[in-house]
Amino acid sequence: MRSLSNKIILTAALLSGLFASCKKLDLVPTDRFTDENYWTTTEKASGVLNTAYSQIFNTDRFFYNEAMSDNAYNGRGDNQGAASLAAGTYDPSLGRLKEEWNDRYSGIKTCNLFLGNVDKVSNMDPTLKARMKAETRFIRAFQYFQLMTWYGDVPLFDKDLSLEEAQKITRTPKAQVLAFVLAELDAAAADLPITSAYAATDKGRVTKGAAIALKARVLLYEGRWQEVITTCEALMSGTNGSYSLFPSYEGLFLPANEHNSEVILDLQYLPTFRTYGNLFDMAPISVGARLNAMSATQELVDNYLMMNGKTIREAGSGYVESNPYVNRDPRLTNTLVYHNYQWKRADGSTKTIYIKPGSDPDQSQKLDEYAAGGTNSPTGYYLRKYYDPTSLPNFVSGLNLILIRYADILLMYAEAKNELGQLDADAWNKSVRLTRSRAGFTDAAALDFNGTPGVEGLRTIVRNERRSEFAMEGLRIFDIRRWRIAEQVLNGWAHGAQYGPASIDNGYIRANQRVFDAGKHYLWPIPRDERAINPNLSQNPGW
Amino acid sequence: MYKNFTAFSRWDSCVKIKIVRMIKLTCIVLFIAVLQVSAGTYAQKLTLRFKDAPMENVLLDIRQQSGYDFLYSAQLLKKAKPVTMDVKGASIEQVLKSCMAGQPLSYVINKNTVTITAAPAPVAPAVFPVTGRVVDEKGIPLPGVSVKVKGTATGAMTDADGKFALNAPDDQGILVFSYVGYESLEKPINSLKVINVVLAESAQSLNDVVVVGYGTQKRTSVTGAVDQITSAAIEGKPAMNVTQALQGVSPNLIVQQSNPEPGAGASLNIRGVGTMGDNSPLVVIDGIVGGDINLLNPSDIQSVSVLKDAGSAAIYGSRSANGVILVTTKQGAKNSSMKITLNALAGLQTPHVLYKPVKGYENAILRNEANVNAGQTPIYNAQQIRDFKERGDEQWFLDAILQNALQQNHNLSVSGGNAQSTYLVSIGYADQRNNLVGPDYGLKRYNYRINLNNEYGKFKLNSILSYSKSMIKDHSSNTSTLIVDAGRVPTIFKLKDDQGRYLTNEVLAEFNPLGQLEQGGYRKYDNDNLFGSLTAEYAATDYLKFRGIFGGTLTSNHLFARTIQVNYFPQGISGADRNTNDENNKNLFLNTQFIAEFNKTFNKSHAVSVLLGVANESANNEGNRIYRRFTDPELGTPITGTVIDPSSQNTNQATAESSLNSVFGRANYSFNDKYYAEANFRVDGSSKFSRQNRWGFFPAVSAGYRLSQEDFMKDYQSKFGDVKIRGSYGILGNQNVGNYQFQTTYFNIQNSYAFGDGIVSGTGFNFSNPDIRWERAATFNIGADLTFFKNSLNVSVDYFDKITRDILVQPVVPGVFGASLPDFNSAEMQNRGWELSVSYRLNTDNFKHVIGLNLGDSKNKVRSYSGRERIASSDEMQYIIREGLPFNSYVGLKTDGYFQTMEEVNNGPKPAGLTNLGPGDIRYVDVNKDGVIDDKDRYVLGNAFPRYTFGFTYALTYKNFDMNLFIQGVGKRNAFIRGEMVEPYHFNYGQVAYEHQLDYWRPDNTDARYPRLAANGSQSNTNNFRKGSDAYIYNAAYARLKNVQIGYSLSPELTKKLGMQKFRVYASGQNLLTLSGLKFLDPENTEFNGNLSAGGANSARAYPTPIYVGMGLDVTF
Repeated sequence: MRSLSNKIILTAALLSGLFASCKKLDLVPTDRFTDENYWTTTEKASGVLNTAYSQIFNTDRFFYNEAMSDNAYNGRGDNQGAASLAAGTYDPSLGRLKEEWNDRYSGIKTCNLFLGNVDKVSNMDPTLKARMKAETRFIRAFQYFQLMTWYGDVPLFDKDLSLEEAQKITRTPKAQVLAFVLAELDAAAADLPITSAYAATDKGRVTKGAAIALKARVLLYEGRWQEVITTCEALMSGTNGSYSLFPSYEGLFLPANEHNSEVILDLQYLPTFRTYGNLFDMAPISVGARLNAMSATQELVDNYLMMNGKTIREAGSGYVESNPYVNRDPRLTNTLVYHNYQWKRADGSTKTIYIKPGSDPDQSQKLDEYAAGGTNSPTGYYLRKYYDPTSLPNFVSGLNLILIRYADILLMYAEAKNELGQLDADAWNKSVRLTRSRAGFTDAAALDFNGTPGVEGLRTIVRNERRSEFAMEGLRIFDIRRWRIAEQVLNGWAHGAQYGPASIDNGYIRANQRVFDAGKHYLWPIPRDERAINPNLSQNPGW
Repeated sequence: MYKNFTAFSRWDSCVKIKIVRMIKLTCIVLFIAVLQVSAGTYAQKLTLRFKDAPMENVLLDIRQQSGYDFLYSAQLLKKAKPVTMDVKGASIEQVLKSCMAGQPLSYVINKNTVTITAAPAPVAPAVFPVTGRVVDEKGIPLPGVSVKVKGTATGAMTDADGKFALNAPDDQGILVFSYVGYESLEKPINSLKVINVVLAESAQSLNDVVVVGYGTQKRTSVTGAVDQITSAAIEGKPAMNVTQALQGVSPNLIVQQSNPEPGAGASLNIRGVGTMGDNSPLVVIDGIVGGDINLLNPSDIQSVSVLKDAGSAAIYGSRSANGVILVTTKQGAKNSSMKITLNALAGLQTPHVLYKPVKGYENAILRNEANVNAGQTPIYNAQQIRDFKERGDEQWFLDAILQNALQQNHNLSVSGGNAQSTYLVSIGYADQRNNLVGPDYGLKRYNYRINLNNEYGKFKLNSILSYSKSMIKDHSSNTSTLIVDAGRVPTIFKLKDDQGRYLTNEVLAEFNPLGQLEQGGYRKYDNDNLFGSLTAEYAATDYLKFRGIFGGTLTSNHLFARTIQVNYFPQGISGADRNTNDENNKNLFLNTQFIAEFNKTFNKSHAVSVLLGVANESANNEGNRIYRRFTDPELGTPITGTVIDPSSQNTNQATAESSLNSVFGRANYSFNDKYYAEANFRVDGSSKFSRQNRWGFFPAVSAGYRLSQEDFMKDYQSKFGDVKIRGSYGILGNQNVGNYQFQTTYFNIQNSYAFGDGIVSGTGFNFSNPDIRWERAATFNIGADLTFFKNSLNVSVDYFDKITRDILVQPVVPGVFGASLPDFNSAEMQNRGWELSVSYRLNTDNFKHVIGLNLGDSKNKVRSYSGRERIASSDEMQYIIREGLPFNSYVGLKTDGYFQTMEEVNNGPKPAGLTNLGPGDIRYVDVNKDGVIDDKDRYVLGNAFPRYTFGFTYALTYKNFDMNLFIQGVGKRNAFIRGEMVEPYHFNYGQVAYEHQLDYWRPDNTDARYPRLAANGSQSNTNNFRKGSDAYIYNAAYARLKNVQIGYSLSPELTKKLGMQKFRVYASGQNLLTLSGLKFLDPENTEFNGNLSAGGANSARAYPTPIYVGMGLDVTF
C-alpha cells in the first residue's frame, strides 16, 4: 500500500511540477509589433505616416467649427464646444479646448516619431523617403498652424518629447512658431511632388501645391499681404501644379468630382471604410435626418447677394423680404436649405421642404416646419452643402472634405491686393469675377469690377464674397478672428428666419444670445488641465 | 472470482501481502463484487477433521466445502495457533466458532464472505449502554454527530437516522454532543438508557471551522480578519447570482449593482477603495484561484469566507491587496443515506419607475414658461393647450415598454455518503425574464455540479466538476438609450397608430423604443463554463500531509447578434446597417498547486502547524469577432452589398496570455489555545512585469490572545464568555493591470486613411513602462472577538489602516506629450476603516430569535498622485484626485440659493459671459471674490463611494412558522445626477418635465429645489445647468428592505409520515420598501463602480429596479 500511494503522490508531484515549472513568464503579444521588429520595412513605416494623415482633422470639428462663428448655431448639445464658444460662455475647462490641444499634439507626436525613426529603415528608396518626410513635415506644420491660430503662443518642439520634458515645457512665442511653420512649409514644398506627379493610387497625398497654399493661408492670417500675393501667384501661374475653378459650384462637392482641378488639400474618405455621418444632424428631417444640431443663421443668408450683384439692403436690389430666397446668389441654394427648397434626391427627383410654420400640406407631419423648442432647426434653415447623394442611410458618406481649394487662393489674392490698394480690374478679373461667374452670376453688374467703393468698400465686398463662397466650410471663424470683427458679429442675438413674433427683431427668430469679449476671446485659454499638470505654461490675457 | 482468489493465495508472500493490502484498501468494492459472484450459495453442512493443522489449510477446506469467500491477510494467519478439530455436519458458524476459539483472531460473516481480522484487544466491560437520537431544531435527524462520554475515550457517531448507541463506563457520566455548525451540548446520563437531544444551530460557534487560504482553521485560532458567511445567509433569497446574495451580509463587503437588468454584473469590494486602479477582490472557488462567482448556483454554496486583512490574505500575495473571497461548495455528508433536496422559487418582478411625467397639457404650459423665461416665444397657444387637456393623455412611452416579468430559481440536489466516500450532485435552473417588452428577453442559467470525496486509508481524493450555462437574450439597442428616449416623450404623443405602425414624433424623430424592442433584433449570449478540480491528499503520518491540486476553468462564450431594420412612420429608420455579428471567446485558466502541511502538538500545549506550497496559474484567452453589415433583412446572411466591418477580429488579434508562478507558506503556533501566532508569505513571479521587476515577496504576521483563557479571567468567562484580541500586519500586492505593458508595441489600425480609391491602414503605438511593478499595500488590522451570555451574543470588531504605495495608475500626461502612457507606479493612498458585527440568539419556549447586524466604514485619502492633481470630467460632473482628499471626490461650484431680485442679479457674481440672468437663476458662491464665477470658485462637493454600509437580519421562528427579514443600506453617499431627471427639457432632447421638478423657482416659490424654468441655449439655462455644481448632488443614503421571507414548515411528525425530512413553503419579497432622500431614482444607481471609477456621469437612465414578490418551496427527502 505504501508504494502504491507513493506512486500516486509521485505522479501528482511530477504532474504539478511539470505544470508549475514549464510555464514561462516571458510572454509576447500576438497581434502587434515591439520596438525590436517595427522599424524594418517601408510598408510598416508608412503605416505611421498614414496615422499622421488621419490625425489632420476630425469631421465633427470640420462641420461644427462653423457654429462657432456668426454663420451657424449649434442648437442642440454643445458639439465640439461650438455652442459655448459662440456664446462666449466658456472657461478654460471647456472640453473642446483640451481636446483640440491634445489631438493636435498627438498628431505632432506621430510626425515626430516618424521623422525620428524612419532612417532606421534600411533599403528604403531615398526619393520615397524624402517625399514621405516632406509629407510628414507638412502635416506637422499644419498642426502647429492650427494650434497657434487658436492659442497664440504654444510649446514648440520638433523631436519626440519625454514625459519629463512635456511636464516642464514652456510656451514658445507665436512669432517663433510662425517662423517654424513657414520654414517647414518651404522645406516640404521643395521635396513634394505636384499633383499630377502622384500615381492614381496616391491621390489625396500632400502636394507641393498644398504646401504653398497652406503657406498662403498662414501668411493671410498674419496679414502679410505682399507675401500672400506672391505665394498665391506661385499657384495661379500653374508652375506648381495646374489648378483651376471647377466649372460647377454644386458639382465641386459631389462624390463624382472628387480630386477635381480645384482641390488643393482635402481629407480623404471612402464609402464603407472611412466615413462620417454629420449631416444626420443637419439635413432636413423630412429627408432622413434625426434632428438638427447645427443650422445656418439669418445673418449668413442675408450675406448672399442678389443676382444683380447688390446686397439685399442696397437700393435697387429687388429684394423682397416676404419672398427672400429668389434671385439670390446661386451658392445659397447649393449651401443651405430654406423654405420651399427643392431638395434634389439621389435619383434626381425633388422634394419640397416646408419650413414656414403652417405651410406643410401634410399637417400631421410637418417635420421641417419651424416650431420653437422643437428638435428640428431652431433657425429655419438646414444644410445642403456636402450632401452626398450616394450616402448610405443616416447620411453615412465617404465624400472627401476640402480643406483648401483654388477659390481660396483667388480670394486670398483679391483680399491681399485690396489691402495693398492694388485691387484693380485685372486683379478682380483674376479672382472675384472668376468665383462669381463660376457660382452662376451672369449679370455684368455682379461680374464687372467697380472701383467706386474704394478700398474700404471693396474690403466689404471681398469679405462678403469670401463668406458666401466658403459658407459652412469651417473658415468663417478664422476670418472673423483675424479681421478682428468678432466683437461685432458675435455679440447679441444670432437670428433665424422671419418666423417669430413680429414685435421682436422684426420677426426674425432670436436663436442664440452671444457675448464676445475682445479683451480675451480672440485667443483660446490654455486648457485648465494642461496648466494644472505643467505650471510652466502661462495663460493668455484675460483668462 | 473464486479462481482468482485461489491463485492469489499461491503467489509468493511479498506479492500476496501487497495484494491483500490492496484488497483491504478496496474492500467495499470487493464486497460488492463478491456478492455478485457467489450469490445464492449453499447453506450445506460441513465435515472437517484436522490435527495441529495450519489455520490457512483449515480455512481453505472450509471455503471449498462451504463456497464462502474469505478475506484475510496471510501475515495475520501466521500468528494463529495450529488447529485441531473434528466436526461432522456442522454449520459454518459452528465450524468457525470452534476453530477460532482461543485464537488471536476474530471473524465476521457477511452474507457469503468471512472476514478475518485480529481479535480486538480486550476492553473494559461496558457497564451502562445508552442509546438515543440527535435531531436539529426542526426535528431533522443529524447524522455524524460526535457523542462522547466526557473525560473518557468512549464515544460514538450518529447514523443516518441520527441514532447512536454506546456503552458508558457508568450511569453517572456526561454525554457531550458536538457537531460542526451547531452548539455543543452536554447532557448528564443520570441513569437514563435513552437520551434524545436537540442540537441548536450556532450563529458563530467558537468551535466552527473557518475556511482560510489553502486550508481551514478553528475559529478560536483565527488571528486575521476573516468573516465567514454560511449558506443560511444565501438560502431563500431570490438572488440571481451569488454577488447579489452577498449584499449586506458581511461588514465592509460592499456590493453595488448599478444596473439591475437581467445578466448585468454587480461589483464587489472589500473595505473600500485602497488603490486607484482595480479594487476588486480575488475570488477563489473551492481552492482554485479565479473563476466567476456569478456563474455559481447560489444553492450550491456551503460557505463564503471573506479575508479582509493582511494576516489572512497574504498567502495570496500579489493579488490579495483588495481582499480575498473564498467560496466553498457543499459536499455530501459521511455515513448518511441519500438525501434529496428540492428548492423551488418563483415570483413576479414589477418594474418600479420612481419618476412620473406631468400631464401633457401641463407640460405644454411649462414649456411655454421655459421659453418665455429664456426670451423666446411660447411654443403652444391657448387653444392647443386646451386641446391637449380635452384629449387627455396617451400612455407614457416608458410605461409602454415595461412589463411585469417572471423569475424562477429551481434547485435539486442529491447527496449522501458512507464511511469512506461522499457525493453531492446538484442541478440548478434560474430564469429571470426582462422587464422590457419584446420577444423573450431575459437570462437563463443552468448549473450542474458533482462533488465527490473518497478516502482510501491515508489517501483522500476530492473531485469537483461543475458546469454552468448561461443564456442571455436582450435587444439590439442600448437599454439606457431606450429608457431615456421613452421617458423624454410627453404624453401627447402616440406610440402606435391604428394600423399598428410605430410612430415617430418631433421628440423622437429617428426611432421609437417600442419598435426597437419588438422588432429591432437581439443579442444572444450563450456562455459555457466548466470548472473542475482534483485534489489528492496523502497523510504520510498523522502530522504530515501532502496535497496536490489541479484545477481550472474553461470558459467558452458566444454572442450572436442581429440588428434588424425597423421603419417608422412618418419617418425614421433604426438598424439601417442590418448588422449580423458573432463573437466567440475561449478562456482556459489552469491552476496547479502542490502543498505540504505539518500539524503537531508538542507537550499537549504547543500546537504547531506549517504549510508550504508552490503553484502556477496561467490564463490563455482567445477570441474572434465577425461583424457583417447590410446582411439579408430576414435571414441575416450575406447578400449583395454585405460588407465585413473592419472592427472584426481574428484570433491573433484577440489573444492574451498571462502566467504566475508562486511559492507560499504559513506557520501557526498556539500555546494552550490561549496565545496564537501566525506568519504568512508568498513569492509571486508574474508575466505582466519585466524580468527585473518580476518577483515580489509578500509577508504578513498576525497574533491572537484569548484573554478569557487566563486563570484570572475564569470568572469572567463563566459569567460572560470568550474574549479574544488579535492583530496583523503585512504587505499585500496588486497586479491588476493589463498584459504586456512593459513593452512598447506598435499595432495596425485598419482603414486609417484613404489614398486614391483605396483604403490604407495606419499604425498606432502603445508606449511602455519598462519599470512597471507590483502595487504594495501595507495593511494593519486589529480586532476583537467577544461572546456573551454563553455564546448567545457574539460581537466582532475590527479596525484597519492600509497604505498602498506604488499604485499603478496612468500618469498625469500633459497633452503636449501627445500620447497616453501605460500604468506607472506613481501614487499612494491610505484607506482606514472599521467593522462591527453582532449576532444574538434568543430562544424562549415557542419563539426563537436570531438578530444579526453588521456595519462597516472605510475612508480613503490620496497621499500623492505623481506629485500633481487631476480633475476629470464627464458632462457637468467633475471629480478630482488631490492629495489629502478622498479619491475621485466630486468638485464643482457651490450654490448660494437663487437670485431673488434683478438687483441681486446685477450686483451678484456671475459666470463669465452670462450677463442676461434673472431672478430664479442659481447664484454661486464666489470663493475668490473676484466678481466672476469660474473654475477658481470650485468646492469639494462629496464622494460617491458608499460609507457606513450596513446589513440587518432578523430571523424569527415560532412553532412551525418562520420569518426572515433583511435590511441593507448605505449610511452616507453623494450622488451626482444630471440629465433630464434634474434639468427640465434637458438640452431640448428631453421634452418632458417630471412631477418632482414642479418644485422649481417661481416668485411664489422662492425656496425651491430647482431653479426657474429656462429653455435650452438661454443664458439662464447655461448658468443653472451647464455648470457642475452641488445643485446636481443628491443624498443617496438609503435603507432598503431587501428581503423578507415568511415560511411554514410541516411538523417533523407529519413530514416523517410523508416520507420526508423537511417540507417548507414560504413567501418572499425583495426590495419591498426603500427609505431614501433620493425620491425619483433608485439610490443604488451610481456612475462609479467598486473601483470608484466612472464610465460617465449618471444621467439617470438606468433600468428600473424591480420589486419582487414570490413563493418558494423547500423539500428534503
